[in-house]
Formats: sequence, C-alpha cells, structure tokens
Amino acid sequence: MTGGQFFYPDDREASNAAKVAALESLLIEKGVITGQTVDKVLSYFESEMTPLNGRKIVVKAWTDPQFAARVVGDTPAAVAELDLPEGMAGAEGEHLQAVANTPGVHNLIICTLCSCFPWPVLGLPPYWYKDPVFRARAAREPRKVLAEVGVDLPEDTEIKVWDSSGHSRWFVIPQRPPGTEDFTDDMLMEMVTTESMMGVALAGPVP
Amino acid sequence: MKLQHYLGGLEGLPEPLSLEKRVFVEDWEKRIFGIHVAMMGLSNHLGSALPHYPIEEVPTSFDDEWTWADLRAGAEAMNPFDYFKFRYYEKWLGGITRFFIDKGYLTEDELVSREKELTADVAPEPRDPVPAIDEQVEDYLRKGDSPRRDIAHAEFAVGSRVRVTNVPAAAHTRLPGYLRGREGTVERVFEGDYAYFCHTGDGIGDPMPIYIVTFAPDELFGERAEGGPLTIYAELFEAYLEGV
Repeated sequence: MTGGQFFYPDDREASNAAKVAALESLLIEKGVITGQTVDKVLSYFESEMTPLNGRKIVVKAWTDPQFAARVVGDTPAAVAELDLPEGMAGAEGEHLQAVANTPGVHNLIICTLCSCFPWPVLGLPPYWYKDPVFRARAAREPRKVLAEVGVDLPEDTEIKVWDSSGHSRWFVIPQRPPGTEDFTDDMLMEMVTTESMMGVALAGPVP
Repeated sequence: MKLQHYLGGLEGLPEPLSLEKRVFVEDWEKRIFGIHVAMMGLSNHLGSALPHYPIEEVPTSFDDEWTWADLRAGAEAMNPFDYFKFRYYEKWLGGITRFFIDKGYLTEDELVSREKELTADVAPEPRDPVPAIDEQVEDYLRKGDSPRRDIAHAEFAVGSRVRVTNVPAAAHTRLPGYLRGREGTVERVFEGDYAYFCHTGDGIGDPMPIYIVTFAPDELFGERAEGGPLTIYAELFEAYLEGV
C-alpha cells in the first residue's frame, strides 16, 4: 500500500458497503438474524429511542421547578413520570443520570474510553461525540473546545466535565434561553438539541 | 500500554474542533449498527441478565456472548494508528466480521463469494421470517441489561480522599489512563454494586461499588491544565481506587 499512514482506497465506501451487505446476507442465511432484524432495529431508533424524549424531559424541567429538582436527584423516577415511549430504562438507559446547567455551572459529558450515550433519551451518538480528537481534547481543555464550537462561557463559570467510565448514562439539562417566558412547550422544544443535552451547545434558536 | 486507554488529555491534536452532527455519514453504517444491536440482544449471557430473557428458546443460531465489552476490547486491541485512521463504524465492521470468522459462523471465502453474488444479483433468497428472533432483540432494547446486582457494599465514603490504582494494563479496561495514580475525592457513592460484562483482568467484573470521584485539573495535567474553574468527574469501579 502506498500513500502513507492514512492512505484510503478510492472505493473505500463502496467496499465497506459491499462487505457489510455480504455479512448481513450470510448472517440471515445462517439463521443468526432474520431478513427484518436490522430494519426493525433501525426503525426502533427512529420511532422510540430518539432525542425527542430528551427534549421533552428538558422542557418539563424548564416549566416545572419541582420536576427540575427530581430529574437531577432521581433521574429514572422522574423520567418514568413522563408520557414517553416504553423502554426509557432499556438498553443504554438502565442507569440514566441528568445534570443541570445553572448560571454559574456548565456541564459537559464525554466518554474518553468509548462512546457511552443515553440511547433512550437521546438516540444514537452523533459523530462528534465518538471523535477521538474531541474525546482527547475535552478532558484537558474543555473551555477552549467549547469556545471553538461556539459556546463562549463567562470566565467565572465553572465547567464540570463528566467522563462516562461507569454504569451511568449522562445527559445535560441546559439552561432555558432568555426571552422564552411566553413560549409554548412546542416552541421550547425547538430550542433543545442533542448537542445542548450533552453540553457542547447552549439551548436556543437552531439556525 | 495502549494508546486507546490514554486518549483523555492527549495533546497535539487538530484544532479548531468542528462538530459532525450526523449519527451515520454513510448508509452502510446503519447496517453494521443494526447487526451489533442484534448480537447484543441475542447474546447467550442474557439468560442470566436481570430481566431473565428466555434466550435458550430464541430460534437463532447465534450461541455466543456479545456485549459492549467485546466491541470495546476489539477497538482497544487495534493498532492505535488504525484506531485513528478508521471511522467509528469501520472499526465496528472490522471487529464484528472478525468475530464471526473466528467463531466459525462464516469464512472469508464465503464473504468474498457473497459479495460477488450480491453484485451479480444471484444471492439466495432470504429465508422465511422468524419473528421470535426479532422480538427478542426488541425486548432487549426495551428492557436492557442492568449491571446492578446488589445494594452497595462500599469501602469509601463521600468526602474520602482516594488514589486511582496503577494496575498493569489489561486487554480491556474501564479505567481512563489519564486518571492513573491521581488523587481525588469521593463525590458520590452509587446505590448498588455493579458487575461488568466480563472479568477484564484489571480488577472489575464481579459486582462492586461505583463512585463518582472528583479531580482537580492540576492534579491530572499539572502545568498543562487549562485555567479557569473546572472540575473533572469520573465514574470509577471500587477496584480502581485505594485509600490515601
């Protein structure tokens, strides 16, 4: 192979696609999975385990101070109160834990060893969360990393970095954006993104 | 020493950071993700998981254990330069394919032949549906596989000063390398004792307490610590901690 350490063949993606198609086809033929298994899994993530659940939790916390306290104190119990799909304590949600941003504290969730992510409330992790560069840099210089992605925090705001190396699956309750006092729940939901629920963005209008 | 265990704090990496917000950047990535979830949902250890899945009765030919520990151990076993070279789901595709070959479910030759058959549109028709397989996978997604096994039997209390152990590296670990040998303070003792999917060889596996330990940035990174108020919180199994 020529081209140095990071040479990639021109047919990189076509080759990957052909390999995974062959693998799936053989696994179906050999009775490991069925012809519907992968599609059913993907469908489950589109309909049940989506960031919509997390956005509902955040908006409830913004509009109900007692819920806001409960969701941090006992996240699974608080989440169970809401009208969310069955399975919020399912795979990768067995031990959910929320942390809340406040005027003096900004939380950032990372996973330096892998990519632990709270599937039931946020769905699947975006690529940035799994990026070794983000995982490496956010541990030592979170303030700089946050500034680079557009989160400029006041100098005296404390950053809390949570490294997900145990059983908990973490997410952030971002601060409610100013000027949203008259917003309906649906309008508030539009202010919440996966990024703001992991701490690499603030809640607010999405461009 | 494995670079993959020491990502936290690694310097010299590209900046500024930009956020790729997509979950999948190629359609094929969805397929390997789905295969991995199916393997977790059909893993033969699930009969002893807390929801007591009837895994023995599920009509799949899959008869092995497959958990996050297997996927992670594979990623940690990679050539570290390849680890950076390949995208997330490329690593999954490589690791999962290798697993099925090593365990004898299929061969390299079969994979090559099937690629050609699919290209020529002469692959065999899929078998009849087997709903019980898919139902088990969905049941796993809904009910999960909690590692909690007991109430906590904790050696350390909130406020205790602890030092992270510096045990020899194992093939797989849940101890972030940048914490090794560092001192911190117990912030929280979780409610239970928690097992891990496997015995990693560096102390975890059997049920034990997990703590949140706080670290000051200069304890971890010395003069290279970032200025400004910052606290690092890590979740650590008791086996990775010793009293100070």
